[in-house]
Amino acid sequence: MSRQLSYAKAILEATDQAMGLSPDVIVLGQLVDTQSGIFGTTTGLVKKYGPERVQDFPVSENLMTATAMGAALTGLRPVLCHQRLDFMVYSLDAIVNWLGLWRFKSNMKSAMPVTIRTIVGKGWGQGPQHSKNLQAWFAHIPGIQVAVPATAYDAKGLMLEAILGETPTIFVEGRGLYSMTDEVPEQPYRVRFGQAVVRREGKDATVVAIGLMVPLALRAAALLDKEGISIEVVDPRTLSPLDRKTICDSAFKTRRLVVADGTWHSFGAAGEIVTSVVENLGDKLKSKPVRVTLPDSHTPMSSALEPKYYPDENDIVAAVRQTLK
Amino acid sequence: MELSHRTITQIGHYRDMDLTGTAPDTLLKLYFQMLRLRRTEEALHQEYHPADEMRCPIHFCIGQEAIPAALSLHVRPDDFIFSHHRSHGYYFAKGSPLRELFAEIYGKATGASGGKAGSQDISHSDTNFYSGAILAGAVSIAVGAAFGFKHKRTKQVSISGFGEGCTDEGAFWEAMNYAGKQKLPVLFVCENNRYATFSDQLKRQADDNVSARVRPFGVRATQIFGNDTVLAHRTIGAEIERLRNGDGPALIEAYTYRWNSHVGPEDDSANAYRQPGEMEFWKANCPIVLLGEKLRAAGLLTDALSARYEAEVAAEVAANFKFAKESPFPTDTHWRQMNYADASPLADRLLGVATRGAGFDQYQDEAKLGPY
Ligand SMILES: Cc1ncc(C[n+]2csc(CCOP(=O)(O)OP(=O)(O)O)c2C)c(N)n1
Ligand SMILES: [Mg+2]
Repeated sequence: MSRQLSYAKAILEATDQAMGLSPDVIVLGQLVDTQSGIFGTTTGLVKKYGPERVQDFPVSENLMTATAMGAALTGLRPVLCHQRLDFMVYSLDAIVNWLGLWRFKSNMKSAMPVTIRTIVGKGWGQGPQHSKNLQAWFAHIPGIQVAVPATAYDAKGLMLEAILGETPTIFVEGRGLYSMTDEVPEQPYRVRFGQAVVRREGKDATVVAIGLMVPLALRAAALLDKEGISIEVVDPRTLSPLDRKTICDSAFKTRRLVVADGTWHSFGAAGEIVTSVVENLGDKLKSKPVRVTLPDSHTPMSSALEPKYYPDENDIVAAVRQTLK
Repeated sequence: MELSHRTITQIGHYRDMDLTGTAPDTLLKLYFQMLRLRRTEEALHQEYHPADEMRCPIHFCIGQEAIPAALSLHVRPDDFIFSHHRSHGYYFAKGSPLRELFAEIYGKATGASGGKAGSQDISHSDTNFYSGAILAGAVSIAVGAAFGFKHKRTKQVSISGFGEGCTDEGAFWEAMNYAGKQKLPVLFVCENNRYATFSDQLKRQADDNVSARVRPFGVRATQIFGNDTVLAHRTIGAEIERLRNGDGPALIEAYTYRWNSHVGPEDDSANAYRQPGEMEFWKANCPIVLLGEKLRAAGLLTDALSARYEAEVAAEVAANFKFAKESPFPTDTHWRQMNYADASPLADRLLGVATRGAGFDQYQDEAKLGPY
């Protein structure tokens, strides 16, 4: 029987294995050394590796990121956890003005292999300050990789790749994915950045889905399948680098494109992906591409508004229908 | 007595320099180092216009040679220095090659950062020197390096050089809190030259010192008359020794003065930000003059030796200019490689080699898509 593991446990396992493989791997973050361990993603690490390698940090997000960066210069491989992406925004200076350009600025002689995990909240009234996904900001910055794993398998492989690789990485984790399970090998393995995957083959339309939208796109595909509409679901897995070729190949095959991205509509990853396809094969598409995103609005707390704010599989179904019209 | 820029000019001529306990050859080295830095900066300042071949902002450090000279005799090759925008003194203090500083400013491929960074962002990783122009950002990274040294139980020290203006930033205080709490081996060197660009510290802060306010964070702090190079050398030496033995962190606040404009050789006096009599006081108390007087009185510095030093420094400066001017400009336009590492040696070794993601080769204009 293949082994099933949750997304949260896959992150924990990857971190654990990286720490076992290299004594330089350390974990920093508020409350990473507690039993609850950031929704179970760091639980038990402090017991296994000790408080020097698994350290709590003051509520100083900017310094935390910078500390990891300086520590990386001494040969350590820090893994940071920000419990919410919203908190991590305090560390934008460290990320935008230093981390991203360290390699460039040092003429490729110095590297800061830092892995920054950041969690995007969703539901139960997280509201406007606990649910933001600013993945596109980070993907916009040269010198930083951005992972958006949608499955436990990818979470583990991309995490190991990030921690033991040489490029600073921002790891965007959807809180809503944590309990989802997937087949995950026990052995450590790599998922390379910039390698999209076709999650489901189809011929009538391509749905490129990012992070939390991947399971929704697969549900939409199942619904449409009942009507004889076959859609191909592509998961980019990383936004930077972005595997434009797999995306374009799929769009060329189906000639129709929907991009489902659970972040704000304007200036986001969905826009970048649509542009990449249009630039390469816009004249081959049979209909206009459609984006399924959040509205350009902050997140409402009320449970009455949340379902209206977040797109679901029906929105993806509707978008596919629009491309088929 | 607490030092303050408000009252410091009342000192008149500084007479407290004490040579006792500092070896004669160390004193001469301090003098020589200051002279090297002074003549280097003067030459760059002089050459900047109208030649216009140094096409980047430069924050000259003329008048502030004492701290770099003192540091230069204490830092070890494996210590790290992280500097702010006024970087030349710290680059010099780390013993990083000056000709690569010149070449960097000229935007040449042989520059310390391959001509990509310039004066205010220069780094020289072979000698563990880094800088950056965003105030306080490098202070935080220096704390991180100290974290690494403590974690690995090395005796290395992380040195963070900045001005009092940097302490306006919130990031600075996060760094104090954490360094103090964790007792990290980091030496904060604050050259308090009163001004951040054209703004007096008292326009920005309630008091004109930094030391009194870092102490409650658990950071040991010492104020010194920053143009007393011998005192600076003694203080820095003692602090670095304590840091190597796990007794950190420490801050040294050196009261000093910038003689030139904030940036570049252009005159910024129209902003009338300096106090009357201030420049005269500090020039009269030039760190090189103060030490030179003492060395001459002690019979250590003679006219002949002084002339020899000058000749040596002039030759070095000329050679650095020649190197920079004759070096080629960079031509490399492999933007992806400049920003992203291709290789992943550690992951290859620990996880096995795996084909690189196709997306790597689709970097912007290198895209290998289609034809469709
Ligand atoms: C975050 C940030 N804000 C503003 C500036 C613009 N700036 C450059 S130098 C400077 C003044 C710095 O003063 P200080 O730290 O005392 O160093 P000094 O120039 O006096 O050596 C300012 C405000 C900057 N570089 N970074
Ligand atoms: Mg200043």
